[in-house]
Amino acid sequence: MNDTAAAAFDAVRFRLNGVERTLDVADIADVHLIDLVRDRFGLMAAKESCGIGRCGSCLMLVNGRAVNGCLMMAWQLDGGDVVTPEGLAALPEGRAVQAALTAEVSFQCGYCAAGFTLALTALFMRDPNADAASIRAALSGNLCRCTGYASILRGAALAQTELARRRAVAAHQSYEFASEETKHADRAG
Amino acid sequence: MSPQRRFFAEVLRARSLAQAAELVADADREACFVAGATALQLEWIRSKPAGRRLVDVTRLRELAGVSETATGGIRIGAATRLAALERDTMLRHRQPLLIQAIATIAAPGVRELATIGGNIATRTGCLIPPLLAQAALLEIFEMGQLITLPLRAWLQRSADANRLLVAVILRPMPAHRRVAYRKVGLRWGFTPSVVGAAGVLALDADGRIGEACMAVGGGITPPHCLDRAVTMLRGQQVTAVDWHALRQRLYVEIAAPGDHRYSAHYRNLAAANALVTELGDTAALDAICPVRPVKHFTPAAAPPPTQIEVSRHELPDRWRLRPDIKDKVLGRFTYLTDHRRPGMLVARILRADLAHARIISIDTSRAEAMPGVAAVVTASDIKGRNGYGIVLQDQPALCADKVRCIGDPVAAVAADDDATARAALTAIRVAYAPLPVVDDMEAALGPDAMAVHDGGNLQRELHFARGNVNDAWSRCAAIVEDDYVTPRQLHGFMETEGGYVVPGADGSLTVAVGGQHGVRDRMQLARILAMPEEKIRVITSPIGGGFGGKDELTVQAPLALLALKSGRPVRIHLDRHESVCSGRKRNPMRIHMRTGCDANGRLIAQAVDLLMDCGAYASLSPSVLETALEHACGPYEIANVRTRGRLAYTNNGLCGAFRGFGANQMTFAVESQIARLADRLGIDPIAMRRINLRKPSTPGYLSQKVAPTERLAEMLDAAEASDLWHQPRGLSADNRSVIGVGMALCHQGNGLGSILPDSGAAHLGLSPAGRITAAYGLDEMGQGLLAIIQASVAAAVGCDRDDVEPITGDTARAPDSGSTSASRGTYVVWKGADLAGPELSRKLREAAAAVLNRPVATLMVAPGGIREARANSDELLISFGELAAQLAPEALPRATCIFDYPKADYRAGNARFIFAFGATLARVAVDRATGQVRVLELDQHSAAGPVLDPASYVGQMEGGSVQGLGFTLTEDVRVEGGRVVTDNFDSYMMPSIADAPDRMRVFAMEDLDDEHGPRGIGELGIGSATPAIAAAIADATGHWPTVTPIPPEATLTEMMRSEQTS
Repeated sequence: MNDTAAAAFDAVRFRLNGVERTLDVADIADVHLIDLVRDRFGLMAAKESCGIGRCGSCLMLVNGRAVNGCLMMAWQLDGGDVVTPEGLAALPEGRAVQAALTAEVSFQCGYCAAGFTLALTALFMRDPNADAASIRAALSGNLCRCTGYASILRGAALAQTELARRRAVAAHQSYEFASEETKHADRAG
Repeated sequence: MSPQRRFFAEVLRARSLAQAAELVADADREACFVAGATALQLEWIRSKPAGRRLVDVTRLRELAGVSETATGGIRIGAATRLAALERDTMLRHRQPLLIQAIATIAAPGVRELATIGGNIATRTGCLIPPLLAQAALLEIFEMGQLITLPLRAWLQRSADANRLLVAVILRPMPAHRRVAYRKVGLRWGFTPSVVGAAGVLALDADGRIGEACMAVGGGITPPHCLDRAVTMLRGQQVTAVDWHALRQRLYVEIAAPGDHRYSAHYRNLAAANALVTELGDTAALDAICPVRPVKHFTPAAAPPPTQIEVSRHELPDRWRLRPDIKDKVLGRFTYLTDHRRPGMLVARILRADLAHARIISIDTSRAEAMPGVAAVVTASDIKGRNGYGIVLQDQPALCADKVRCIGDPVAAVAADDDATARAALTAIRVAYAPLPVVDDMEAALGPDAMAVHDGGNLQRELHFARGNVNDAWSRCAAIVEDDYVTPRQLHGFMETEGGYVVPGADGSLTVAVGGQHGVRDRMQLARILAMPEEKIRVITSPIGGGFGGKDELTVQAPLALLALKSGRPVRIHLDRHESVCSGRKRNPMRIHMRTGCDANGRLIAQAVDLLMDCGAYASLSPSVLETALEHACGPYEIANVRTRGRLAYTNNGLCGAFRGFGANQMTFAVESQIARLADRLGIDPIAMRRINLRKPSTPGYLSQKVAPTERLAEMLDAAEASDLWHQPRGLSADNRSVIGVGMALCHQGNGLGSILPDSGAAHLGLSPAGRITAAYGLDEMGQGLLAIIQASVAAAVGCDRDDVEPITGDTARAPDSGSTSASRGTYVVWKGADLAGPELSRKLREAAAAVLNRPVATLMVAPGGIREARANSDELLISFGELAAQLAPEALPRATCIFDYPKADYRAGNARFIFAFGATLARVAVDRATGQVRVLELDQHSAAGPVLDPASYVGQMEGGSVQGLGFTLTEDVRVEGGRVVTDNFDSYMMPSIADAPDRMRVFAMEDLDDEHGPRGIGELGIGSATPAIAAAIADATGHWPTVTPIPPEATLTEMMRSEQTS
């Protein structure tokens, strides 16, 4: 029984949309991540649609990766950083993806929308230049019944274009900034 | 039937291998090791007995990471996540086979959680064949020590929960090699395995095969190595292998079992073909699957009719954002199932677990006594009529004396929380006397069949005849006769059934559950609850997808009963398993069709015998039967017709409305028949269609007069002019598949028909907040109703789309506009705006004239408000907000209208008056090794009147296309003995993004040149997707599919037949 005591862990500590949270393991031993965020924290953007990791409606970022909230137990979060769809607007890639999916009217009923938005954000955070095959692969765990996916792919392409434009602008600005610095340095010299 | 949610009691985190083993051994069989826990959770959901204790092994260093072994191999800790392996540079470089295999497992989000050890420990994982092919070793901790043994030897040992899989060790890949990996799945992306196969052949410098291993496994196939086939290869020059002989040897040696979906023969053949083609590439393919010469039909170049491509790119000036899109993308949009309020109870429904049984007794006393349970209801709580149904009321709200299908509701519970509600369900005792199960629609109509309802199992039989079919056959130069079988398709809306009900202090009731006709839901509820309709407010929107599956009542009645009994708000949201098992589906059909034409291709005779599974209750199935038969001649004139349609009650769950409503199934048969007749006669299938097409004066199927507009000839022209015919066909560039192109026409009736009441209404007005409100009792299910309302009302009133605030799906706030079904919504919106819009516009100008003290004639309605009619600038004289602020509430302008949907003047049967027109073209690739089909391109041409909102139009057409693609290739709810086998998205295969076409295009011909305005397109996209895909398969392989979803086995068998004959 000493072993049991040694192996016990009581508290789960994690960040949820930037806020530190601590939960009692006993209290959440068999609670799924999706139920935790919806029922305990009232974050309703992520949906449960299949409950078995097959549709992606419940995707969340955990340590920067898109994972299925219905397949992860709350206790597995310990030490993790969770971003729900509500937290995506805090990320530059998240905002670009949201804007592009809106502009392309990528969704109809919208029940799957947060999951797709999250999966694309996770992809572009890791690989902003993902090719068409990689985009499809990254979305292969998300089901949509309304659109036939084409509008979502158009949204993804638009988001990529926008992100590339912003990178180009940022690169240009930092170049100009660097040039200014050089000038100042020259003068100083 | 509802799975229990309480899984286990404690989680422990092991700090050493020894401690982990002790913790599991200590608790005996009630404990297990856990890492990613993905597979384990699926077992819990499948109600496998849960362990008492979980021992988390993810923090053990022995189970972590990827490292190089002393002998140049690679050691992978068992708790390493699959996604981490995919990202591992060394593995990507040195173990491409493993990386390739990992990419076929689940989906990225699941691979972030699942571990390599978990995949292996299940003994059915998709990694086992490739690991066997590489002779992988396993490190196991057992009896206090680490041992290493081959994976192959481990698989032969019996499973033991006390052994901990610690690591996988891969030997270096041979420098010269041929490798093979192929997972044959139920669909193209995120798919369960039909069978998986892998092989590694080591070659010496001269290309001679040395060490080799091939293996199969995955899914229901027990993993096994294929040693005899390997013996055949050893020592051979790889370029000299007799691939045909190897395939035969593998086919004999592979021992895959069969199931309802794929026979053992198919699995063995597909695995053998896959291995051989991956190892031998083109040479092997030509040896085992020679391509049958197929004469591809290519129409002569024709000028396309005037049409637009509907897209943001092509129509940038017309592209507008629907009002709900931003909130949906941001996750801020609240669905009815998202509503929570303090004190709200959670409901659960007790459903029959027997397909057919008498109820002897129901005892709810224990459940009622449980703490936290607020109310339990059964049929005895129903004060009104315990029966509902849109066509006839044969379905009990809660079963009283008999259950007729698994999932039939027997009782319902409202409790403080979900866990208590679920626990209470298990405390209700129902005693049943089982009855024989009627699980086959054919047998249901036999003389000895048990009656599902007192009146017998023939729910409806319809006959129609025109001309003399019997005499006509003798004049036919060609006759094609076949059975077309279509599936029990799941609507698959992402938001399952649910919502909430709130009882009012004044005895009123607010019922907020997704629906497609609030006023009808209210009428049905009033009848069940014995309440006046005025006391019930029904809110039916917004909905997370409907497709017809929420047209009939779903959970409203039990939820309302619970709210009334408890006096508290109650919510419910079905989980997917419950939704699939208890919800309605598309009626399965068997269409026997005999079609004859003369030597010129002129259709002479058409005989149709349709048998349809009604399921346990009627719902809208009788109307589906009628609609299917109404499309029995498709868009063609046929002088001699005889049809019979029968609808059989069974215990196979529920059926009812589904997008297409019987027409798409019949179109599959009709379009296939005409193309096959053209094939038979050796004439151009487009030319053959053209000589048989309906003309503007042609009466409808029931000889009824229909609207004179026809755009079928134009749709046929569009199909003929399509550039898809000129895309590459035949053998694909990589030799792996054969490619074909096919087309089909669509002619879809709109509206409810001539017999049913079918009216619409609109209430337009200026709100106190200065918004142009547009109230329609229609529902936003995702199709874009709100955008259509904004576009129509803005055009009719003269304001901007964003000035318009649609009010929908609420009996308290919107008039009865009829049902949101049968492609009627768009017309109702357009007509309502057309009738009431000008009046509102006039009243707005009059009100502004009074306020501004200017003549009415000088004013016009403009975006944002009222402006000077003749001014060059668009500066407003007064905004809508300012105008509203100046007016007393009763003086705010408003305009209303009620109107009839365009109808045929025909009473002998239910007949449509207006139709939408379309043509679908598909380009498909058929895999030579497996017979699996991938749709490469899908084009929709449509003539449905003006495109009111391009985004909604393209969305409905594309979405309908892919739902049709699923119907055609992968979707079927399997019911065995009345029990749904495919009860969630792991077994029911809706198209994933990998199954969606590489490219879809949507074209529209907007000019219909009549007074009936825009037609609905909700059903046009799915209307002829199936026959177009079937024709493309025939173009590629010479084989005409008649059973949907099209079994790859049938296609492969046909392709292999050409192997024997060539």
